[in-house]
Amino acid sequence: MAEIKSHIGTQNKKGQTYTDAWEMMHEAPRNPSFYTGSEVIKEALRRASCDVMIAYPITPQSEAAALIGELFAEGYIGDYFRGESEFAVMSQCAGAAFGGARVFTTTAGPGTMRAMENFPMWAGARLPIQMIVTCRGINSPLSIQPDTIEISYLLNTGMLVWHAETAQDFFDWILKGFMVSEEPEVHLPLALCCDGFFVTHTKDVVNLTPADMCLPPYDPYRSPVPCMDMECPPVRMMRDPFIMKSNYISYATHASWQQEIWAAVERSRKHTIKWINGLIDTENTDAEVVIVASGTAVSQGREAIRLLEDEGVRCGLVKVKSLRPWPGEEIREATKNAKHIFVPEFNVTGWLAKEIKATIPNSERVHAGPHVCGGMTMPPEIIASEIKAALGLRSESLAGRGS
Amino acid sequence: MTQYRVLPGPEHFLPPAAASMGIYLPNPGEAHINGVIVPEEKAYEEAARQFLMAQVPTIFPGPLVLWAWNEKAAKKAAAVRKLYEILKECVQPGQKPMLIPMPDYRPKYPKINPEVEINPNHPNLTIWHNKIDCCMFIGVHCHQANLSLKIIRGGTSCYTVAMCAQAGHEDAMLSFRDASVEKILKLGEWIRKLKGTVKPRLTTAKTSASN
Amino acid sequence: MSKERIKISPDLYDIMPSDYQDLVQSATYGKEDRGWKDIGTSKELIEQHSLCAGCPESMAFRYILASLPNPEDTVMVGSTGCTSLVFPMVAVHNIHSLFGNQNAIASGLKRALSVRFPDRVKDVVVLAGDGATVDIGLDMTLQAWFRQEKFTTICFDNELYANTGGQESGLMQKGFVAKMAPVGKLFDKVRLPEIARESGCHYVVNCTVSKPSLVEKVIRNSVLIAREIGPTYIQLYTPCILEIGKNSMEGLQEMRDSEKPTERFAYKEYVSEPAKQFLAELAAKDKERKAAAKQLAGKA
Repeated sequence: MAEIKSHIGTQNKKGQTYTDAWEMMHEAPRNPSFYTGSEVIKEALRRASCDVMIAYPITPQSEAAALIGELFAEGYIGDYFRGESEFAVMSQCAGAAFGGARVFTTTAGPGTMRAMENFPMWAGARLPIQMIVTCRGINSPLSIQPDTIEISYLLNTGMLVWHAETAQDFFDWILKGFMVSEEPEVHLPLALCCDGFFVTHTKDVVNLTPADMCLPPYDPYRSPVPCMDMECPPVRMMRDPFIMKSNYISYATHASWQQEIWAAVERSRKHTIKWINGLIDTENTDAEVVIVASGTAVSQGREAIRLLEDEGVRCGLVKVKSLRPWPGEEIREATKNAKHIFVPEFNVTGWLAKEIKATIPNSERVHAGPHVCGGMTMPPEIIASEIKAALGLRSESLAGRGS
Repeated sequence: MTQYRVLPGPEHFLPPAAASMGIYLPNPGEAHINGVIVPEEKAYEEAARQFLMAQVPTIFPGPLVLWAWNEKAAKKAAAVRKLYEILKECVQPGQKPMLIPMPDYRPKYPKINPEVEINPNHPNLTIWHNKIDCCMFIGVHCHQANLSLKIIRGGTSCYTVAMCAQAGHEDAMLSFRDASVEKILKLGEWIRKLKGTVKPRLTTAKTSASN
Repeated sequence: MSKERIKISPDLYDIMPSDYQDLVQSATYGKEDRGWKDIGTSKELIEQHSLCAGCPESMAFRYILASLPNPEDTVMVGSTGCTSLVFPMVAVHNIHSLFGNQNAIASGLKRALSVRFPDRVKDVVVLAGDGATVDIGLDMTLQAWFRQEKFTTICFDNELYANTGGQESGLMQKGFVAKMAPVGKLFDKVRLPEIARESGCHYVVNCTVSKPSLVEKVIRNSVLIAREIGPTYIQLYTPCILEIGKNSMEGLQEMRDSEKPTERFAYKEYVSEPAKQFLAELAAKDKERKAAAKQLAGKA
């Protein structure tokens, strides 16, 4: 292997300049552009110095995955192909990451579930793969519509899990995500989630970094585990050997290994806070009513707060950006004044409300809802109405026209 | 602020990862002692003191320095050897410095030979067998170093030091970061500087604390 | 890695365990015509493992590792099973991740290595059992071949799930009574070598590991063809003596019995046209090289 050297300031074969990531994301000029979420994923990847992207069609991520194929054809991605199923794709991603590549993929709904066996393997093998999850329904009957239930299955895999609200989040976090997950003391996969269609298929103004700048390449020799390329020691190395002989020592090794995965999630906290400017965003958290949400439920919550303001009800907002690492302390602090905490969610089980209840004191303050699922929209009015009902204020029925 | 401190064990049947107890890694220019961030200079002094205090101060070089896979690795290996030689010069009669490799990370069955190597799957065997009471890891991949450090803290009373080329280790009682040839040699200088000023723990009987 | 990189730091050489000192001194990394004959005179790339005494799989491992044309630049991919008890002891980087995904891992790995080392040879070799290759992983086995991924797939066929205790597998013979086949297996042994040919493999061999020279030839061909042309598939009979009721010393005879002309492991080979041409060129070059060496020796 060549001695580790800085690539900053040099150019790649497309004429892009490898730029210090902090400078690129925070100091370089931004260009406002009107794009769909899928196009934004493509634009982020153009600047990501990505070695391998592996694609598979499933709505609503198919467009993004295909657009990255165009980038490959243009020469911006090292290699790209369509795998045969999500299970295979996630294993192909693992293979590429074991071989020292920066790896990216996208999936959704039933695809996430089919691939599930891979995710704890990725985390255990310390592979910093980035996976976009454009969430949709997973249960029978089939639905391609937005629903965030699949995120709850990702929370205990050992992956980092972030939940983007907007296309702008997406653009920034894809690039910043590589920086966090590739830190040697973190070196974990990142599931960067968004609500399908709402983010992927709507157009928004997104401020892009210059197209002639790109992230520095990934350096596999800073990895906390040996890269499988026969270029680094030890030469007698299996990723990853079984430690399952029936004795206490083997169990202790596996236990210690599991702890190390979650320790790495904890270590990502410092870097996540630095790169995405805190694990949560807050507005007016001195109010007695606070909405805590993630993904597009945040946007709907923001609208509900505007409606409530018109009626003289003051309401704060907490936008949860990172779910793993979990912003426990931040949420405790942001909700310490709240008498009522509302958690609107695009899923039927209310996993975010459960996480929050397990985090804060006096959890009876948490109103788990409103919930919609299966592709239903969440009009801000229903959030406002639920808040008003809890406060004993009168609100009109929103269910229909009545008899 | 966490009240947890990373101290010599035996800590627990399954001790927690220090990161999960709120211990943060040092920033460049810093180190940590027992989980508390300190200026790097202070850590050199403390590491030197621990080495000179120990009955069996031991250096565990790992694959990243054992193999001459690039020039830097070979230079670090030379520095590790130098550090070991300094340690031998500076200890008092009765102290027994050791240099034991962690050549790889594979589980070996039925078990490793603790006289010639240490293994991340059961590092406690080497610690126990050689009665090592202070050790330093260098050139071990971070993941495997953390496995080892936690198991050692769980089941032994050994004081652990990490000379890490990356971001450091919370699971060690003392950790440097961004290790280089210069830093390894600087630790050697500190050992020389403190030579004769530190009273070694030369006890043959078990202390009551380990009962 | 060039052979020179597999070197112990001189300042720490004396403390390395002797098996590593032997490895750097006398293993055949970088030796041009390495092969099974090196066994016994050089350090093998396999250390003590925990397979059963007399297991033909361990013979297969030794012959294969002795025959890889380029071990210093080869990465192997395994799967769950008895082989994964051996792989930690193999002095070639290797990967185990999940059961059955070996050809998917290898696809990603080969592509990553091609992106990272565009001007260098990096061979990828899959070695997995029959359950992994034909049952749970069949989809990924075939799809890698359809895509013409440039790596070798080796299947250790012991005709059952050995590591889990002898359950029915797709490569088991019809009628064999095993766990999960309580009245005997009801369908034929899956004909994967033929499927491999139809799926785009350029070199397919079905044989036993009774003859090391044959294993050497087959492995060498399969790796070189995969490197230059496209996917190759080798199915090797490595009977599980434990599960078929044989003794430790009976493995070799079991393989000899099974490779008779009418038996299921009679030597079968398929070579595609491009692979035939490649092998012919290789043979011609080899001949030239040997003639030149002879001439040189004559002059000296």
